[in-house]
Amino acid sequence: MRSPIGSIALAAAMIFAATSTQAFDETKYPDWSGQWRRPAGVGNQWDTSKPPRQGQAPLTAEYQAIYEANLKDQAAGGQGTDPTYTCIPDGMPRAMNVIFPMEIVIQPNITHIMIEYLSMLRRIYTDARDWPKNAEPSFMGYSIGRWIDEDGRGRYDVLEVETRNLKGPRSFDASGIPLHADNQTVVKERIYLDKVDSNVLHDEVTTIDNALTRPWTVTKNYHRERKAVWVEAICAEGNQHVRIGTENYMLSADGYLMPAKKDQAPPDLRYFKQTRK
Amino acid sequence: MLYRNSIGVVVLAAVFVTAVANARAHDETKYPDWSGQWLRTGGIQWDPSKPIGRGQQAPLTPEYQAIFEASLADQTAGGVGNDARYSCFPVGMPRLMSVIFPMEFIFAPKITYVLFENNMPRRIYTDGRSWPKDPEPTFAGYSIGKWIDEDGDSRFDVLEVETRYMKGPRTFEGTGLPLHKDNQTVVKEKFYLDKSNADILHDEITTIDHALTRPWTVTKNFRRERSPSWLENDCSEDNHHITIGKENYFLSADGYLMPAKKGQAPPDLRYFKQSLR
Repeated sequence: MRSPIGSIALAAAMIFAATSTQAFDETKYPDWSGQWRRPAGVGNQWDTSKPPRQGQAPLTAEYQAIYEANLKDQAAGGQGTDPTYTCIPDGMPRAMNVIFPMEIVIQPNITHIMIEYLSMLRRIYTDARDWPKNAEPSFMGYSIGRWIDEDGRGRYDVLEVETRNLKGPRSFDASGIPLHADNQTVVKERIYLDKVDSNVLHDEVTTIDNALTRPWTVTKNYHRERKAVWVEAICAEGNQHVRIGTENYMLSADGYLMPAKKDQAPPDLRYFKQTRK
Repeated sequence: MLYRNSIGVVVLAAVFVTAVANARAHDETKYPDWSGQWLRTGGIQWDPSKPIGRGQQAPLTPEYQAIFEASLADQTAGGVGNDARYSCFPVGMPRLMSVIFPMEFIFAPKITYVLFENNMPRRIYTDGRSWPKDPEPTFAGYSIGKWIDEDGDSRFDVLEVETRYMKGPRTFEGTGLPLHKDNQTVVKEKFYLDKSNADILHDEITTIDHALTRPWTVTKNFRRERSPSWLENDCSEDNHHITIGKENYFLSADGYLMPAKKGQAPPDLRYFKQSLR
């Protein structure tokens, strides 16, 4: 439950903090330091409460058909509607799958979320700004947040975030659950520590998208590692996918181009001298 | 000439230890204001005071000068030489500090973060830790920093950083100006605001590397944008370089594989069915 008195007091504190970057009172904010990871045994699927590829996403008929075609393509060795094999960022909301660990750095005007993969960096503005006009869309989108003291103890405990202005292609997870090609996605999140175990962080993520028949809410859970070791996860390093035109091929272990699907045609080499073929 | 005021250092060292011991009492007034967005003031070459390529007059050993000359010759022929960035590998240290796209600093009590638009963050540990034993090497390396109050005004003004444990391949710049393949590079930096213009940040960078005959010091200068807009710069999003085996090819505007060099042979298609070739 939200305490109005606590909320008003902390709203005043937040306004003061927003006007003075040199007077950041960390004791007003929750301790989300350390490294946050997916819990052991949890897969890469969007809704982790359900098995992969059985998430029962509330897709429109059109996008359910796109998803089914994608699954068929993946079964044949293709990548379907998962665009990340070329090492483009997951984007939002998929970034919150946190395939590789995440760090959250809280400052008065901005909360940064750094994910150890593909330079995925979220800036969540908490300075009460409005949505920008004509901002360049991005995979991670533009995020505005608001700190809330729900339990009225004089310390923020919930970060509510809304993210807009996204670009594509994006999918919810590697199974290719699609988001709409219009990129009008809106993502709403509530991030808070578990009431019992402060080493567990929850993120209730609601996705509103024209590929869906209704807003789709899932809850992500992360476990804290207080003695963090950070490792670079570089997608381009060792990526065996080779995209030529609209086709995905693979690199063999011995460095030759090879088909990704049975009977896949080789690339068209029209721009090479015929005598060298 | 910068000088160190020993009394100021002792006083602030005590403050610093206290801050480290209590992460919840981070006193931002003890740190300089490096907020905002920092952009490079020069070109993309390593030493901004000299022309790119041979004009850098890098103090290379004869062996590595020959490697550099071969890289330049390959690039003249349409190749990429020693520069691994074409395949979207991180540029790593020290080249990260060429800041091709803008950067941001975040000061936390134990860590200074340096964020980039197109590379993974740097974490500079300022908690007095020792070098880790057997860390996983990374392109950005492992950085330990020390805040210093050089002018004795009770506020830190210089951040000294040493970076080790890098992996390769790395070069100083896009011309392929090489670092040694043994990856024993040590990078020492000294960051500070300009004395007369608080919107200019300097980074004196000394690189110690077995490809060099002596430590090589250059000074990078960055200018501040106080009302920043941040963009994503994702190398993989529109990368037209295609690596197959040891060869770099190019993707034409109409989506076909094409040679990157005059007379370049097409890829070996031995893994495709003969009837499809």
